[in-house]
Amino acid sequence: MTVEDQVRDIVAKITRVDKSIITRQSTFKEIKADSLDVVQALVAVEETFGIEIPDEEAQKFQNFGDFVSYVESRVAQEEKV
Amino acid sequence: MSLQGKLALVTGSGRGIGKAIALKLASQGINIIINYFRHRENAEQTARDVESLGVKAEVIKANVGDPEKIDEMFDMIGTKFGCLDILINNAASGVGRPVADIDVKAWEWTMDINARALLLCAQRAAKLMEGRGGKIVSISSLGSRFVLPNYTIVGVSKAALEALTRYLAIELAPQNICVNTVAASAVETEALKFYFKEGLAKDSSQLTPAGRMVAPEDVANIVAFLCSEEAFMIRGQTIIVDGGTSVGLFALAGK
Repeated sequence: MTVEDQVRDIVAKITRVDKSIITRQSTFKEIKADSLDVVQALVAVEETFGIEIPDEEAQKFQNFGDFVSYVESRVAQEEKV
Repeated sequence: MSLQGKLALVTGSGRGIGKAIALKLASQGINIIINYFRHRENAEQTARDVESLGVKAEVIKANVGDPEKIDEMFDMIGTKFGCLDILINNAASGVGRPVADIDVKAWEWTMDINARALLLCAQRAAKLMEGRGGKIVSISSLGSRFVLPNYTIVGVSKAALEALTRYLAIELAPQNICVNTVAASAVETEALKFYFKEGLAKDSSQLTPAGRMVAPEDVANIVAFLCSEEAFMIRGQTIIVDGGTSVGLFALAGK
């Protein structure tokens, strides 16, 4: 399972939307994710991948793709270490 | 009895009121366990500030809304220190919504972090305080008894916290554990800036008889007092720190 699939599963479970509608271009608004959903998604992703995502970074995410790209880069960094 | 060398856990002490409490207790020679949830850098900064006061600091990550994480945190404290003298139940979260928009998820998230965490942390802390006594102090807000816009869930969670404080105070009294709460009006912190942004609060310095908003240090001073032996006979109380706001409503209405 790719990082993208895992993050999509987490977001779909939290927002209770069908994961097939979540594309890299989807905004959090389109996924109907409110501020609590976003926090819960961040926490779940942090726990799944053993990373920490600062709020300053999270605030830059314009859409699901930005979120995935950030997690992918962090996971790659962790693997190097 | 000196507080020198005692050990305190302050939940949510990376910033704001929790940080001010950590520093105040540290200034009295108390070693501090800094709990944080999402902002490691802030917690590490608090740890450095605590250590610069000449006491030890330990940083532990835990979401106090998650019972497993609370257990892990106390397991670690038990293993590493074997005891605890002071628990400051400060960590809080909330979702600002009108009553009509409150869903189960927002309710549970807020209640778990703001109210249930006191129950679970107090249960575990009391075991670590066995044979030595202790102090448990929580942080509440005026929203527990006064209605603030879009503050329903947080206000209700704080009311539960204050009620729980009374029950804990009585049930833990035989173990020599003093349990109290400090309730503040809007305190100048990062969290308040968020509330301003979300339209949940506005600058209330004009409405405060004391002439300014409550600062984190104002709350920390009362928390430290409740942790002292001078406060031994105060049990199960919620002490309001609001510069007179809650008793001055009608006097201020004419201004």
